[in-house]
Amino acid sequence: MSAIGTHGPTVSPAVMLLLNVALFSVAIWLLVKPQYKNETWLWPLLMFVGLAAGGRVALGFIPNVMPVTIMALLVGSKFGAQRGIAFVILVTLLSNAVLGHGWWSLFQILGWGSVAVVASGIRVHDDENRLSMNRLTVASLWSVPIFSIIVSLSIIDSGMTVTGFGIYLINGVLFDVLHVLGNVFFAMWFGHWFDRLLDMNQPQQHLVQEENEHVSTF
Amino acid sequence: MRIPVVLVLILLTLPFAQASSESSWNHEFESGYISTKPLIIEDSVYVRISGFWTGEERPIVAAFELQSGNERWRYTSQTSLQHDLTPLLFVEQGSGDCGQWDEFLIVGWADGKITAHSPVNGSVVWEHQTEVDVLGITGRMALEGDRVVVPTRLGLSELCLANGSELLDINTGNIGWRNGVTITDRGYVFGDELGFLHEVNRNGTVSSTYLGEGKIRHAPIDTRHGLFVHLQTSEGSTMYLNGSIIGNVGHSPAIPILHEDRIYAATSDEWISILCHEQTCEINSTLPFHSNGELAVHIADSGVEVWAQSNTPAGGWGVFNQTTLLRMETTSFDTYGTAAPGFGNGAIALGNDAGLLFVTFQSTTESKPSITSDTNPFKTVHYVLILLFFFLTCASFAVQDLKRMAKIGSTFLLLVALAAVPELSIKVAEQTAPDGEVEWNNSWPDEWKGTQIILFEIDGEEQVIGGLEAQDTVYELTVLACEELNITTEIEQQYLGAYLVSFNGMVGDGWEFTIDGKRVPVGMAVAELDDVSIVEWRPV
Repeated sequence: MSAIGTHGPTVSPAVMLLLNVALFSVAIWLLVKPQYKNETWLWPLLMFVGLAAGGRVALGFIPNVMPVTIMALLVGSKFGAQRGIAFVILVTLLSNAVLGHGWWSLFQILGWGSVAVVASGIRVHDDENRLSMNRLTVASLWSVPIFSIIVSLSIIDSGMTVTGFGIYLINGVLFDVLHVLGNVFFAMWFGHWFDRLLDMNQPQQHLVQEENEHVSTF
Repeated sequence: MRIPVVLVLILLTLPFAQASSESSWNHEFESGYISTKPLIIEDSVYVRISGFWTGEERPIVAAFELQSGNERWRYTSQTSLQHDLTPLLFVEQGSGDCGQWDEFLIVGWADGKITAHSPVNGSVVWEHQTEVDVLGITGRMALEGDRVVVPTRLGLSELCLANGSELLDINTGNIGWRNGVTITDRGYVFGDELGFLHEVNRNGTVSSTYLGEGKIRHAPIDTRHGLFVHLQTSEGSTMYLNGSIIGNVGHSPAIPILHEDRIYAATSDEWISILCHEQTCEINSTLPFHSNGELAVHIADSGVEVWAQSNTPAGGWGVFNQTTLLRMETTSFDTYGTAAPGFGNGAIALGNDAGLLFVTFQSTTESKPSITSDTNPFKTVHYVLILLFFFLTCASFAVQDLKRMAKIGSTFLLLVALAAVPELSIKVAEQTAPDGEVEWNNSWPDEWKGTQIILFEIDGEEQVIGGLEAQDTVYELTVLACEELNITTEIEQQYLGAYLVSFNGMVGDGWEFTIDGKRVPVGMAVAELDDVSIVEWRPV
């Protein structure tokens, strides 16, 4: 690493490669780590990764409007924190391969990972594992400050004051509003569809069963 | 409903790909500006690139197929390092006292060289070196019979078209810049940076007239009432006719052009139409406009059109008739620019400061170019969608379909926010920007007080200059100051506007500027300056 800039430390290509390999390895480890005997999540999750990364890249020209946050909420809630974190690592690595990697990638993973972890506790599915649109709408709101504050930490350097950081956060509030509205948009239009995608490998009878296996072992 | 929403999202992205569907092509040069008019000759387009060159990059002249945009050839000067602002000159084949010649393209270079190129492959037919005083040739050349008349840095040269041999060399002792030459009945006329107008008789005798304190940066215009000169001064500019002032107008005058009984001029403040009637020439019409480079006259079916490039971040071309603005023509690539458009064979060739050449073919007649309209199609689609989703939200509410209302209402709110947030965020940033600590430095000369001052911290050392002609934006002041301080810059024209890459080749982690100690939330190309401002550039 070298100088600290507005986007954090400048990372050399070699260090960046090592970082990416390490993050990818963590994601794979989280995916293969046994978590009960429910094996229905793998393909839906990988498909979800592709969809989230593709959606983020495709909507890259619209500031802060992307489907990743809502999808991280759904994965965290349905498959638990462990799979949720694996999901956000893969989505971030994949989409940033197009949009640009850097110090901020780590913070994006931490931000969306935190959203997935919280969603594994404050679920957006009800006790019968059915998607609750009310909870998803509320989650569209609370997920944004979690993600936003964590990602904003990436700009802190030795010269930044508390006031400076506060001003930075205030300047981002309007874009956080966009993030919330984008989340609500994706929740309303695609929430159920996303949820059905995550259930696609479930045996038909399981779809109506109560499922307790989402609890994370992470 | 999901499918229509996806279609709407796709529709929103369409404007970003619009240029490819038009009957046109474009070519973006790796670096440099297009500062002079591209020439359309038969089935070719010829264009040159200007810039301040360091490292491996050098200026080029290139030829393209008019229809396809395929590059035919390019010639690179290895020795010209300063801005090349001499318009290309195409010469038809002919013969005269000094021999015969085939058609070729004459190029004047800032290193004082003149090269004649085959239009077929760009090979050099002949070349000639003129005197250099930091710079060489930067003004418009002219043809007379079997010779080309070239405004040099210190005077004028007359060369034989057949072989480039020098027939006449005039040295006035004063330097010139963009000092184009005009051929009159008596001989040749050109100006200089000290405000002198030089008339050279064909026998080589020179008579000079002092017009006033200022710079003559165009070929004087020969009217029936005498020579017209638009003198650039420190207060703005002054227009002279036969030595008498006919008007004082704005800063940084464009290169005026004569057509029939009118002279068209422009400055940073206005577009001007001057009517030369029986008694004299006088200003007939002025309109607010910002143009500082070449102007072009185009004869369309509907009449005379005067094209002036808007030298602003938004760019575009103002199209005027004799007295008023007819329309703005824009492309997807607009930015600062000073080059006149080239017309010919049903095509228009446009170039700008992003080094982008855009060639488009006019529809059925000469009157309507097929370039994009003035309105931003993305914004139009966006606003139509806001209206549409507003009505759909109301309709859902009216029929008490709350589920549908949630979907449509969320889309409506998102569209409204997307329209409002960029503008609002700038205002928030302006409100929250911390007060700066920049203040007057007592070591600065008193003459700088009340002017724009710009400071560069490069490699730990500060360089500062003030008292320059007031500029509108940080971009303009930076470019001007760097020229004065001999600081090399690398500026890229990106989608979001001009981006400063390096000073003196130093890239680092990037560069940021402040105005009066404050960071501003916009790029340097749109960051506006007061007449009294202190700009600081520092590494990030």
